[in-house]
Amino acid sequence: MKHKPSYWQEFTKGILKENPVLVALLGMCPVLGVTAFVVNGVGMGLAAAAVLIASNLVVSLLRNLIPPQVRIPCFIVVIATFVTIIEMVLEAFLPVLYEALGVFVPLIVVNCVILGRAEAFASKNKPLRAVLDGVGSGIGFTLALLLLSLVREIIGQGTILGPDPETVIHLFGADFEPMILFAQPAGAFIALGLLLAVVNSVYKRFNIK
Amino acid sequence: MREILKLSITLAVVGLVSAALLSGVNNVTAPIIAERQESEYREALERYFPDFERFESQQIDNDYFDLIFDSSDRLVGVMATVGQQGYDGTIWYNLAFDGEGKIVGVRIISHTETPGIGDIIATAEFQEQFIGKSFADPLIPGEDVDIVTGATISTAAVITSIRRVVNVVAENFLGYETLVIDLSALPDGIYQGSAPGMVGLITVEVEVAGGRITRIDVLDHSETPTYFIESYPLIPELIIAGQSFDIDTKTGATLSAKGIVDAVQAALAANVGGE
Amino acid sequence: MEKLLSIFFIYIFIDNFVLQRFFGVCPFLGVSRKMETAIGMSMAVVFVMTMATLVTWLIYTFVLVPFNLAFLQIVAFILIIASLVQLVEIVLRKISPTLYQGLGIFLPLITTNCAVLAVALLAVRQEFSLLESVIFAIGASLGFSLALVIMAGIRERLELAEMPDVLRGSAVTLITAGILSLAFLGFKGIITL
Repeated sequence: MKHKPSYWQEFTKGILKENPVLVALLGMCPVLGVTAFVVNGVGMGLAAAAVLIASNLVVSLLRNLIPPQVRIPCFIVVIATFVTIIEMVLEAFLPVLYEALGVFVPLIVVNCVILGRAEAFASKNKPLRAVLDGVGSGIGFTLALLLLSLVREIIGQGTILGPDPETVIHLFGADFEPMILFAQPAGAFIALGLLLAVVNSVYKRFNIK
Repeated sequence: MREILKLSITLAVVGLVSAALLSGVNNVTAPIIAERQESEYREALERYFPDFERFESQQIDNDYFDLIFDSSDRLVGVMATVGQQGYDGTIWYNLAFDGEGKIVGVRIISHTETPGIGDIIATAEFQEQFIGKSFADPLIPGEDVDIVTGATISTAAVITSIRRVVNVVAENFLGYETLVIDLSALPDGIYQGSAPGMVGLITVEVEVAGGRITRIDVLDHSETPTYFIESYPLIPELIIAGQSFDIDTKTGATLSAKGIVDAVQAALAANVGGE
Repeated sequence: MEKLLSIFFIYIFIDNFVLQRFFGVCPFLGVSRKMETAIGMSMAVVFVMTMATLVTWLIYTFVLVPFNLAFLQIVAFILIIASLVQLVEIVLRKISPTLYQGLGIFLPLITTNCAVLAVALLAVRQEFSLLESVIFAIGASLGFSLALVIMAGIRERLELAEMPDVLRGSAVTLITAGILSLAFLGFKGIITL
C-alpha cells in the first residue's frame, strides 16, 4: 500500500501544487465574474472556502452511510444547503457584499472545485484530512481570486479597497486615467490569461509540480 | 426492491435534514434582512427630511412617490423612487424634494452600468450638481447640468429622467393636502389600485357596496412571504371592521401593512374624483 | 412580442452568457478544442437549459412560493437540474440512440455547468413570465453555443500557431476569449429591455 501523505502535505497541496484555479482551471465563473474589486474577489473566495470546508467535513462524515448510487445527489444537497446558509448570512450581515456578488453566490453550488473535492477526496478520507484538504483548496481558491482582483482593480480602476467611498484608496492620484478595459468582462479574460502565463513560467522556473 | 427503498430513504433523510436546517437559518436571518431593508429607506428619509413624521405612498405611471409629512401634518417633502433605462439595464434611484419642489438628495439604489464608465452616475460629484435644482431650472445637459464625456448615455439618461420627475412632482404634489375619502359618496362597485409595499407593488381589489367596504383582496405582491402573512389577511379585516384607514400597522411588517392600506386608498381615491 | 424578441436577442449578442456574464466558462474552455464536440455540447445545452428553466419556473411559482419555501430555491433548482439531466440521458438512450451517441457524453457535464443554474435563477429573479423565461433560456443557450462554436473555430487554428510555451493552452484561450468579449462589447446598448 502506498504511503499516505502527511497532514501538512494534505493542507498545502491545494494552495500551490494543485491550486484549483491556477493549475486545475476549475471554478472559473466567479473567478472572472467578481474580481473587478479586491473586496468582492476576496469575499467570494472566503464564501466559497467556507462552503468547501463545511461540505468536505460533512461528506467525509457521511462517507460510509451513503450508498454509492445516490452519492452525487446527496453531495449536491449538502453543498446546496451550505450555499443557501452562506447566502442568507451574507444578505443579513454583509448586504453590500451580497449585492455586489449577486447571482454568483448561489452559483457556488455548481463550482466544480467544491463538488470535485467532495467526490475525489472527502468521500474517501477521514474528516481531519478532508477538512485540511478543504482549508488548503479554499486558501488556494481565495489566493487566485485575490491575485486576479488585485491586478484588475489596480490597473482597471487605479484604486484599492473600492468601491466603497469610505475605504477606497486612489493609488495614483485623482488625475489618473485607469485602463478601463481591465474593469470590463473582456479585461477579466485577458488578465486571467496573462496571469496564467505568468504562473506557468514561475511554476516552471521553480519546478513546482 | 430493498435496495431502491434504502436509496430513497437515504435521499429523503438528507433532503429533510437540509430543509430543516435551512428553515432554521431562514427564521433567524429573514427578520434581520427585512428590518435592514426597511431601516435603510427610513434612514434615507430621516436624512433628507429632518421633520419626517409619517409618509403616504402614491404611484403615478411607473414612478413611486412617498409624501412626507411632519408632526403637524404639513407636507414637508416628496421622496420619489424611479426606474430609468440606462445604457445597460435599469437604474433605480431615489430623488428627495423639499416642500417647494427643490431637489435635496439623489440616491442611486441599484444600477448595472459599465464599471469605470457609466457607473459615474453613482458618484457624489455627479449627483451633487442636482441639489437645489427644481422645476424652475432648465435641467438641460451643458446648460446647468453636465453630462460626462465617455458616459454620455448613462448620464444623459439620468438627467432626462430627473427633469421628468421634477415636473411630475411639481404638477401633482405641491400644495397637496391629505387625501380624504368619503366612503358614502362612493358608487357601488369593484375597484383596483396599487401602492408600493416593502419589496414591490401590492395590488388590491376593493369591493364597495352601500357606502361600505365589503371585501379587500390582494391580487398581486412580491413581499417577503413569511412577513406578509402577518399583514394579510389581518390588515384588510381591520379596514373592513373599522371602515377606516387609520390602522395601527403591525411592527415588523410595517411597510407591507402600509402598502396594503395605501393600495386600498389608491383604488378608492381614483373614483372620488382626484384630490 | 417586442419584449420577447428583445430578450431573445439581448441574451445571444449583448448579454452573452459566456463572454459578458461569465456563466459556463468551464465548458467553454473545456470542450472548445474541436468543432465537432463544441456543436454536440451546444445542442445538449440548448435542450437542457430550456427544459430546466421551464421546470424550475413552474416548481418555483406553483410549489415553492405558495408554500413559503422560497428559501429552498437553490437546493430545489440544482436537484431538478441534476435529475432532469439524468432523465434526459435515460430517455435519449431509449428513444434515439444516435442522438444519445452524439450528446450522451456531454450530459453529465451539464449538471455542473453554471450557465444552466444561472438561467433558472435569473429567470425567477428578473420576474419573467413563463413564456419570457423560456425565450430567455433559448436565447441564453444560443448565446452560449455561439461563443462556444466561434471559440472552437479559432482554437482549431490556434493549435497550429507558434507562440511561447507559457502561453500555450488555457492562457492563450483566455486571452482569445477576452478579444472575443471585446468584439461583443460592440453590441452593447443597441437593444434594451
